[in-house]
Amino acid sequence: MPSNEWLLITVGAILVNNVVLSRILGICPFLGVSKKLETALGMSGAVTFVLTISSFVTALLYKLLLSAEITICGTTVNLSFTKFLVFIVVIASLVQIIEILLRKFSPSLYRALGIYLPLITTNCAVLGAAELNAGANNGLGRGILESTVFGFATGLGFGLALLLFACLRERLELSMIPRPFRGTAIALVTAGILAMAFMGFGLLVK
Amino acid sequence: MSLPPHVARFTGGIHPMDGKGLSNGIPARTAPLLEKYLVPLHQNIGAPPKLTVTKGELVKKGQRIAEPGGFVSVPLHAPTSGTVGNLTEVPGVAGNTLQAVEILSDGKDEWGSGLDPIVPWQEADRKVLKQRVADGGIIGMGGAAFPAHVKLSPPPEKTIDTLIVNGAECEPYLTADHRLMLERTEAVLEGAAIAARILDVDRIFVGIEENKPDAVEAMKKAAGAFGIQIVPLPVRYPQGAEKQLIFAITGRAVATGGLPMDVGCVVQNAGTCAAIRDAVVEGHPLIERYTTVTGTPVVHPGTWIFRVGTPVKEALKLAGGVREQPAKLILGGPMMGFAQSSMDVTVTKNTSGILLLAGGETGRYLSSPCIRCGRCVSVCPMRLLPGPISVMVECENYALAEHNFVMDCMECGACTFVCPAKRPLVQHFRRAKAEINAIRRARKKH
Amino acid sequence: MSTTFLAAVCVVGIIGLILGCLIAFTAKKFDVEADPKVEKVRELLPGANCGGCGFAGCADLADAIVNRGINPSRCTAISAEALKDLSAFLGVAAEEKEKMTAVVFCGGSLSRAARKAQYNGIMDCRSANVAGGGGKACAYGCIGYGCCARACPFGAIEMRDGLAVVHPEVCRGCGKCVTVCPRNLIRLVPASVKIHVYCSSADKPAARRKVCSAACISCGKCIRADGQGRVEKQENGTVRINCENPPDISLAETAGCPTGALQTEEAHRAIRPISPKETQK
Repeated sequence: MPSNEWLLITVGAILVNNVVLSRILGICPFLGVSKKLETALGMSGAVTFVLTISSFVTALLYKLLLSAEITICGTTVNLSFTKFLVFIVVIASLVQIIEILLRKFSPSLYRALGIYLPLITTNCAVLGAAELNAGANNGLGRGILESTVFGFATGLGFGLALLLFACLRERLELSMIPRPFRGTAIALVTAGILAMAFMGFGLLVK
Repeated sequence: MSLPPHVARFTGGIHPMDGKGLSNGIPARTAPLLEKYLVPLHQNIGAPPKLTVTKGELVKKGQRIAEPGGFVSVPLHAPTSGTVGNLTEVPGVAGNTLQAVEILSDGKDEWGSGLDPIVPWQEADRKVLKQRVADGGIIGMGGAAFPAHVKLSPPPEKTIDTLIVNGAECEPYLTADHRLMLERTEAVLEGAAIAARILDVDRIFVGIEENKPDAVEAMKKAAGAFGIQIVPLPVRYPQGAEKQLIFAITGRAVATGGLPMDVGCVVQNAGTCAAIRDAVVEGHPLIERYTTVTGTPVVHPGTWIFRVGTPVKEALKLAGGVREQPAKLILGGPMMGFAQSSMDVTVTKNTSGILLLAGGETGRYLSSPCIRCGRCVSVCPMRLLPGPISVMVECENYALAEHNFVMDCMECGACTFVCPAKRPLVQHFRRAKAEINAIRRARKKH
Repeated sequence: MSTTFLAAVCVVGIIGLILGCLIAFTAKKFDVEADPKVEKVRELLPGANCGGCGFAGCADLADAIVNRGINPSRCTAISAEALKDLSAFLGVAAEEKEKMTAVVFCGGSLSRAARKAQYNGIMDCRSANVAGGGGKACAYGCIGYGCCARACPFGAIEMRDGLAVVHPEVCRGCGKCVTVCPRNLIRLVPASVKIHVYCSSADKPAARRKVCSAACISCGKCIRADGQGRVEKQENGTVRINCENPPDISLAETAGCPTGALQTEEAHRAIRPISPKETQK
């Protein structure tokens, strides 16, 4: 694989097509956990972990099992239509395992994330990354390694967006926002402006 | 064996209008004896003194009428001879109420302090000299009101090598220390020498801002005899602040939360030095001081020598009264002084000025949002971030304000002076300090 | 078609099974002891995190109730029915707690209180307190810039004509306003007491009258009219209703209070400006 392919995937996933700010996926934890920097970093760590492993497992399953032509009892079946079901099951299990591990090893982070930890399951960013990996290259999917790298880079991009937003929100806490805008309103306005800023990366990768 | 001082420029600072022209050319006058003086009891930082005389008792001028309430406290003395009157109340400088004792003058004004002159002081025991400073009821007369003998008693682990006399008087309008240094030059220098003897140091500097060239001249002429070095300082507010003064003269910087003694220095106001000299050489405790009565509404601005307990109303009468209704009455200077809401305040040991400001001369706060222009940051002499800290206080995030060193703020007012959004910054910091102290007290309890 | 269907079911089923086993194994291996009771108690608490119980929020109180034997009636913001449910769940008897309400013991609205100066600064009582105490002349009275109203998590305090007034039907007795008032004017009293002396000035009575027309001048009329010791003069000279044994609200009319400092809670809440006041001194 030529080295600039990796660079393309990584830069593309982090900056150009940032999962939160360009693809508008994963907004739920983006808005919900970005009030404090520590929680935001914890959440991005968890999501990156889930993204990497789920991208690997789903790509593996897709490549080897679902998209491959399997001959059973004389008939060739293509099970790629089950991809969403399988992907979700895999992601859900992974998140469950992470929840258990987090509860054991970092109870404070577990409590801080609260409801948003199991919500990683329904985080469209994770399913989105898996689907993007599966759907690329005209339905034949990316290679397993590329998928994993893509998943990891997506996680980094998510982390970057969350980090920036958390810092902005902490700073917003120290401003006298006009009454009608306080709370979610100004957060959404800020997110919009941040998304516009990231459009500047648009032509970095053709 | 003094090394030449290196006059460093401190960070920040502002150049407010001078205003001293109203009173700096006029020699100080001694106020005539009044019929009644209302002497507030608690004039010092630290414990209030305890009254020892009762109503109807006859007292002599300078006689002790209250004893110290602890180590960080000073005694109180009668400003004139006469009879002790009622225990009453007068408004304090900060809007509080102070207990005050009336002294009704008998017109004779006879001394009777019970303190003998200590001459020659050069041979007296240092502890005796220090005790005399305490017995003289002397507190920081530049406005700080901190008992002088406590300042002259640094803990043994702090080595002091320099005494700095604060003759900067950087506040606009005030000329009390200026006239004092011109008219009682030897007294100030001798007092400094006594203080240096108590501290056992031989490096003594007097810092004087260059807007007082005649005082610099006069002090320079007489200083040689005492082994004191006069240091003319560039005019900038707040040059007279302790830490800035130390930095300018010695180049030493006091760390955050620290005190001058941490860098081996003790700073005393020029007026305090003169009072030390009077207590030691004459046996006269602190009962009067140089005060500037000034401002455009004042008919005859000038410097007066008022006895402690002089009602401000009488002081203004002596200055010829007012020619127009003033908008503000400030005790102290316009930058760090307190605006009064009552005319019943009295002159205390640390009243450096009685300032009246006309309507057109006072600004009004708007409390509009911080526009983050950064002007306050560039003028803060303590290198703080006044604008962001004020926003933290508005959002009630005192932990963050404490983290940004709001406790180091000396409330000089430079930031408030330059703020284009007219925010009451110093008030925000006073609020923050009060809240942080309350939190610390509550934490100690648990 | 059916083959595809069967194959799909089998494949997905097997994947699910494997993952299920993996989860079960992880759950077993990394199990953490958790108390579901604490969670349930926390759900039953109001969730206002007002701190009125003295603990650091509802989660902390829940933990204290379950593990440290604190009685659930410690929660001051909980409603009576919720308290019953909570006590039933825990199997303890709920302590009969009297509903408390906050009262601001001052009647110095802008129409009644004299001004000492024009205050120009931060419009917050605690901030005004560090800068001379606001514009009203009384050193003991309500500064009137609303920091108690802002502190109330339930919106029970209203600023009327520059005076803080508590609405007892909204007040939950959490005590946040009590901590915040820089003049310590607010106290928690039983909500059943509907008559109070709305003045906390410890000044001499003659001085009080000079600074506020609504001041209690300690004339003692109400004490005499009651005659049963249910209105008491305190050590500092203020007059207070005995909240354990309060007089009937009719005392407000029969006593003939010269300034109106003795008022029923209803009359006090009906504060309206009497006349326009000078703002310049």
